Amino acid sequence: MSVTFNNRDPVYIQVIRHFKEQIATGRLEPGQEISSRRELANKLKINPNTAQRAYKEMEEQGLIFTERNLPSRITRDEHVLNAVREELILEAVDSFVTSIHAINVPLSEVLDLVKEKYENKSED
Amino acid sequence: MIEVKDVKKRFGRKEVLKGVSFTAEKGEITCLIGINGVGKTTIMNAIVALTPINSGQILIDGEELHKGSYEKITFIPDAITMLPQMRIIDAMQFMDDFYDCWNEKRAEEILSFFKLDKQERIANLSKGNTAKVNLLLGLAMDVDYILMDEPFSGIDIFSREQIAEVFTSHLIEDRGVIITTHEINDIEHLIDKVVLLNEGYVLKEFSTEEIRENEGKSVIDVMREVYQS
Repeated sequence: MSVTFNNRDPVYIQVIRHFKEQIATGRLEPGQEISSRRELANKLKINPNTAQRAYKEMEEQGLIFTERNLPSRITRDEHVLNAVREELILEAVDSFVTSIHAINVPLSEVLDLVKEKYENKSED
Repeated sequence: MIEVKDVKKRFGRKEVLKGVSFTAEKGEITCLIGINGVGKTTIMNAIVALTPINSGQILIDGEELHKGSYEKITFIPDAITMLPQMRIIDAMQFMDDFYDCWNEKRAEEILSFFKLDKQERIANLSKGNTAKVNLLLGLAMDVDYILMDEPFSGIDIFSREQIAEVFTSHLIEDRGVIITTHEINDIEHLIDKVVLLNEGYVLKEFSTEEIRENEGKSVIDVMREVYQS
């Protein structure tokens, strides 16, 4: 596992984002056990207090849960999982729309291109 | 917590520390940053009383440094203080003889973490490995606070990475760490707090996550602002 962090966003937020991506793409499955805070800090080369902070936030957001002294796990809550997926899709679409809007292309032309590119990608 | 309060220090006529104040918490990594010659090493020396201060106060968990403090705090200088003809194992034995808080088990663990051969003579070690042995001798002490002077300077990238890994490992655990550096690049994500120094003053003291969260700035952004204004 290797993640490139930028230097201007809080690292704990970037860690949460990384987990959301892993959840949305299915690399982390519902109910799957995740690394301890210390292991995560070590793997991502970040400060252990930051890893702790990220886990705390994710627990508050219901992304992960911890039972007693057992390792934390990814939530099995469908609502939360769907919300993560939707959030990432919306974000990606928003950023696409922002950049394409600046170029001033008609929507129909864009949609055709999107379709074509998307289908090519699926064939890869 | 280590509290440095309005510390002043003169060498002859030159005032090197002109009233330096900051704190370093246990369980956090505090980084003293400054261009060379701003008094970083002098501050470190002052905290462990290797150099007397002219005024001000330094408290470690609320107490001024006394004999017992040496079981609580360790200072890792930027160059190894052991004799070159010693083997690593001799240096470890030396530490064991002199310090009650020397932790043999941890020392062995760090040896294998750094992949060092303890039969090797210090004189024959590469620069990177010398830095690692130097760190080992400090990290293997069961103390609450560790001060490191320029742990990353003058060594190759892979050694730097390995040393950086120490900071995220259980070897640091809940200890308080103060490191000095003039190069922040590869450790921005490893530190909790930054104290920016300039010619004997503290220009700014801040939490790295807070400055990113509240101002959207990297440590280097802040350094540019502070040093180039």
